[in-house]
Amino acid sequence: MSPTDAQLAGLLPLAVVLPIGGAVLALVAGRVGRLLPTVVSLVAMLACTGLLVVVAVRVYGDRVLVEHLGHWHPVGGAQLGVTFVADPLAVLFALLTAALGSVLLLHTLSELGGLGKREAGGYCCLVQLLLAALIGAALTADLLDLFVWFEVAALASYGLTGFLLERAVSLEAALKIAVLTNMAAFMVFVAVALLYGNHGATNVGQLRGSLGEAVHTADLVALALLIAGFATKAGVVPFHGWLPDAHSVTAGPISALFSGLMVNLGVLAIARAVRDVYPELAQVRPLLVSLGCVSAVLGALMALAQDDLKRLLAYDTISQMGVLLAAVGLADASALSGMVYHLVDHAMFKALMFLCAGAIVHATGMTNLSEMGGLWRHRPVTTVAFVVGALAVAGVPPLNGFVSVGTIHDAFERSATASGRAGFVLLTIAQALTVAALARAVWLGFLRRRDDDYDRMEKPRPGMIVSFGLLATGCVVLGCVPTWFLHHVADPAAATLVDGHAYATAALGHSGSLAVEPTSVEVWRAGHLALTALMIAVGLLLAWWYVRRSSEPRPVSLLRRLHNGSANEYASWSILGLVVLVAVLGL
Amino acid sequence: MIVGNFVAAAVLFCLGAYTVTTRRNIVKMVLGLSLMESATYVLVISLAYRNGSTAPVLLYPPPGHTMKGLAHGNVADPFLQNICLTAIVIGVAVTAVLLTIVVRAAQHYRTLDTDEIRELTG
Repeated sequence: MSPTDAQLAGLLPLAVVLPIGGAVLALVAGRVGRLLPTVVSLVAMLACTGLLVVVAVRVYGDRVLVEHLGHWHPVGGAQLGVTFVADPLAVLFALLTAALGSVLLLHTLSELGGLGKREAGGYCCLVQLLLAALIGAALTADLLDLFVWFEVAALASYGLTGFLLERAVSLEAALKIAVLTNMAAFMVFVAVALLYGNHGATNVGQLRGSLGEAVHTADLVALALLIAGFATKAGVVPFHGWLPDAHSVTAGPISALFSGLMVNLGVLAIARAVRDVYPELAQVRPLLVSLGCVSAVLGALMALAQDDLKRLLAYDTISQMGVLLAAVGLADASALSGMVYHLVDHAMFKALMFLCAGAIVHATGMTNLSEMGGLWRHRPVTTVAFVVGALAVAGVPPLNGFVSVGTIHDAFERSATASGRAGFVLLTIAQALTVAALARAVWLGFLRRRDDDYDRMEKPRPGMIVSFGLLATGCVVLGCVPTWFLHHVADPAAATLVDGHAYATAALGHSGSLAVEPTSVEVWRAGHLALTALMIAVGLLLAWWYVRRSSEPRPVSLLRRLHNGSANEYASWSILGLVVLVAVLGL
Repeated sequence: MIVGNFVAAAVLFCLGAYTVTTRRNIVKMVLGLSLMESATYVLVISLAYRNGSTAPVLLYPPPGHTMKGLAHGNVADPFLQNICLTAIVIGVAVTAVLLTIVVRAAQHYRTLDTDEIRELTG
């Protein structure tokens, strides 16, 4: 007999309890054996994945699971306790987090096998706290609880960034991520307090009901604070100062965890805030589209100029987050479906590429593309995996990036608004720049001839090859079934963003059927194939031109000089961004 | 409304932000972050204020208040005071982590100046 909705909903807290329990056990296990913490964590994460699969099967049958924690049920439409809502979007993100987290732990087992007992325990503990925070943030329908998960994720990420203490630069990166994320946390906290002060609620459903009647200036300031805070987590320009540093100094699996999963939390929270909590506001759409497009172009441009392989990938993450945010801003049904699809894709290919980059840095001890070269001779498996990831980002069919980016571009192309049309041009430019940046990385690092042998070249371990294989297969499989994925996974997930009312109702109600029809979107038109080919051609030409020239173009060197590594300046960008957001939204 | 408190919170927040953005000494940056944090506490506690209300302790009504009056909400908002406590606890943990990073950075770089802890650029 299958469990009832209520019984299954009662299991939802386990999705965060399992990783947190695993985190505590990993610390204890670290006192016993060297491999034990990773094994314990892997078991906990696999159990969590299993649970979420069961939940996902139910939720994707047009149901929504609602659990009021501690049985604090809403009284008279008011809810003080925390509510977990498993709608398709939340479950998809939570499942992605748990599954990808398990793969990353498996990879860790191989790559960081040299860690001592205590270090392995601490590492596994922090990784699982971060994963628990991401799952909790996806499931919660309470803004205060979202803030708490944000802080848990933040604390774990500070620890993980500064984890490899033998490299002094990791402290510098930890300092920047701590200062910027901390400021972001204050912004989110103040926003939640302002909303509660005005509406007496932190529950999404209650807030939507109250905000639907009237939106005051204080609410708009709160929205600006929310967007600024979560944009910091997502690494959107100008809040991105911490991201390249934190991604480039950490070990491969940690960068993959940050880039594939943690930054998504920011985009997801912004999407929830503007689509589900607040009613439709005229200023929000153009604002998010411009924020996203600026990120997409600047991130791609900076990626093109990088010499450090992981830094290059980190700037590409900024660019991809920009694309996602722009899609949230466009808020068209097909743009939102494309956003969900691209979020999953990005997690796959970016995790894959960061793992490859980490494996290369680990094996050769080199981080700079100018020193590398000819890696395909020495490392065929890693090269194939990296190239699969790069092709997926570039949108080469039949890999997964083709349809997800295509759906987003298509939605922008069909958009009738001025911001949509401008967004289309900017996103196309960003995509061409992204292709150029990755083509340059593949050429310089992997395909270019290198005459002298590498001094050291460690052998890849089986766990690493398995994780490369899993992620690369994921990229190919997701790309081979685009119509199925869009209609059966992405559309239902995007439905609660298209119609925020359904999610808000669920947050105050009980498990039951989800009263929202997923709008099924057009997959992509044949014309997109030509556009993709054009972007790839332009990107390859650009990469060729860039590799041949000896000096940087002026705009790029100006941009690079702006990123001068000063924690103070990065903090002032954040404050400046916040002031601009408050001005645009509140005035 | 207690406007003075809100102004104080805003001023504290701006002072903190000013410190974080202009002081190159990382200990001072941490102090700036703590200032911003205190500003959020002042704001939250002030939001909980209600005119003529008493503390949200519902066990025995204080002189001049009846049990029924308390139950009908003539108390400061306990929810906001509660989340303020939560935020203070989180804040302590965060400050501890920040100071750990500062101590480690000072040991490695032998300086507290952000201008000299600047290897990751571009």
